[in-house]
Amino acid sequence: MTRLQEHLAYKMGDRYGQHPDDGEFPGTLIIVEGIDGSGKSTQIDLLQKWLNSRNLVTVFTEWNSSPIVRRTTKRGKTEEMLTPMSFSLIHAADFASRVHAQIIPALRAGATVLADRYVYTAFARDSARGVNKEWLRRIYSFAVQPTLGLYFKVPLDVSIHRINTGREELGYYESGQDMGFSNDREESFRIFQGKLLNEYEAMTEEFGLMTIDATQPIAVQQQQVRRYVEPLLENAMAVRGQSVPEALGKAGLSGRYISPPMSRRLTATEVSDL
Amino acid sequence: MDDIRFYGHTPASLGGEATPGRLIVLEGTDGVGRSTQIGMLQEWLEAEGYAVLVTGFRRSELAATGIDRAMRGNTLDALTLNLFYATDFWDRLEKNIVPALRTGMVALVDRYIFSIIARARVRGVPSAWLDDVFEFAVVPDRVLYLDVDVDQLLPRVLSVRQLDHWESGEDFLRGRDLYDNFIRYQTALIDEFRTLAQEHDFAMIDARGNVGDVFQALQNEVREALKGMDQV
Repeated sequence: MTRLQEHLAYKMGDRYGQHPDDGEFPGTLIIVEGIDGSGKSTQIDLLQKWLNSRNLVTVFTEWNSSPIVRRTTKRGKTEEMLTPMSFSLIHAADFASRVHAQIIPALRAGATVLADRYVYTAFARDSARGVNKEWLRRIYSFAVQPTLGLYFKVPLDVSIHRINTGREELGYYESGQDMGFSNDREESFRIFQGKLLNEYEAMTEEFGLMTIDATQPIAVQQQQVRRYVEPLLENAMAVRGQSVPEALGKAGLSGRYISPPMSRRLTATEVSDL
Repeated sequence: MDDIRFYGHTPASLGGEATPGRLIVLEGTDGVGRSTQIGMLQEWLEAEGYAVLVTGFRRSELAATGIDRAMRGNTLDALTLNLFYATDFWDRLEKNIVPALRTGMVALVDRYIFSIIARARVRGVPSAWLDDVFEFAVVPDRVLYLDVDVDQLLPRVLSVRQLDHWESGEDFLRGRDLYDNFIRYQTALIDEFRTLAQEHDFAMIDARGNVGDVFQALQNEVREALKGMDQV
């Protein structure tokens, strides 16, 4: 086998006759999942700040953000050209690109990788659009198994209330309008998100995701998150008096795809909740 | 009326309807003469009274520009490229090829999933995964494979243009010599095509002969595949 083949072999797992070797990754992969308005992005943001404050090297990666694929996805969405299968495939391309350029290098270096949405988002959304569930699991088999998966569970009414108060208008695909559930965008969103909730519910068991009650106060949720994360940090890559890019540089990484620590400011509501 | 057949499960939004058209695929490595032959086949079929759709690789409205842009950089890995190609392929399958088959046209496709699979296999992507990804493809009525050896390919390519970065596998081969890389890459690629030819029962067309002989061989295969079809 060439080096490339070996590299792919452990990405692919044993379904394809090769052995995954998770032991090769000294890093930790923590992912958060949940429907829109579940508060997962706030929680992973707080988690990253906490880890950084302990001088741990964190790498943040977000669904649908690959610099080489994202523009195509955006165009497909804006022009409403995407059908369930092309929606699925282009997101898989985006994910593959981030696994290759961002997630695996950081894990090999020993960093703590934080992912806002992971393959489960594709499983939930694409199956809600009628894409074959079993096929989805096979095409995403190159994904790295997360060390910890957290699912932020929230009832539909709560998430919709949060979205209505804190965000811009719902998108065409975000509300599942491509599926013709309803002509009314809000009604369509409700139906689509309801389907996603069912998909997530089924997946918590299938993939061993830890459920967090996302109706609780933000600080309470964050305490639970940290309790799950704490035991994973024993050998985590840390920086001593040097910047994150420097630390990654020492591990032989250019840092080109490594985003700086998130600097999003909390909204007024989030701060008051704390 | 023929039923549409897929390599695996019937993908979301396709299937169910009759497809009286025919799906004819031309495969072969870069520079083997596919586009010349596709053009000639189209002329001939239209003269015979068939409605013809010609479509090729990387031409989808959705993904073609994105792939071109990505390939100009140097950060594209084999899995991402493959899934990008799969997106492009699906977009054309769903929006051009299947609708043409439903209306009873002959779809002439310049490179199908096999070119994508061969390129990915050469780059070390497991073939079982590739088969999984492309199980949404429609099984063609005929796959015509233009077969050459690399030493016959080289003069054709050199006489029309420079050797290309991607056609020489320079994205993953380590040597610095473009000529060596072209030979190594195309040899490996042709091997993969020949394996695929066995796996999927391609019609092997000897592409070493002159354009006219190759065209005749292709015509014979296409005639066979179009038997029983309505002409205008």
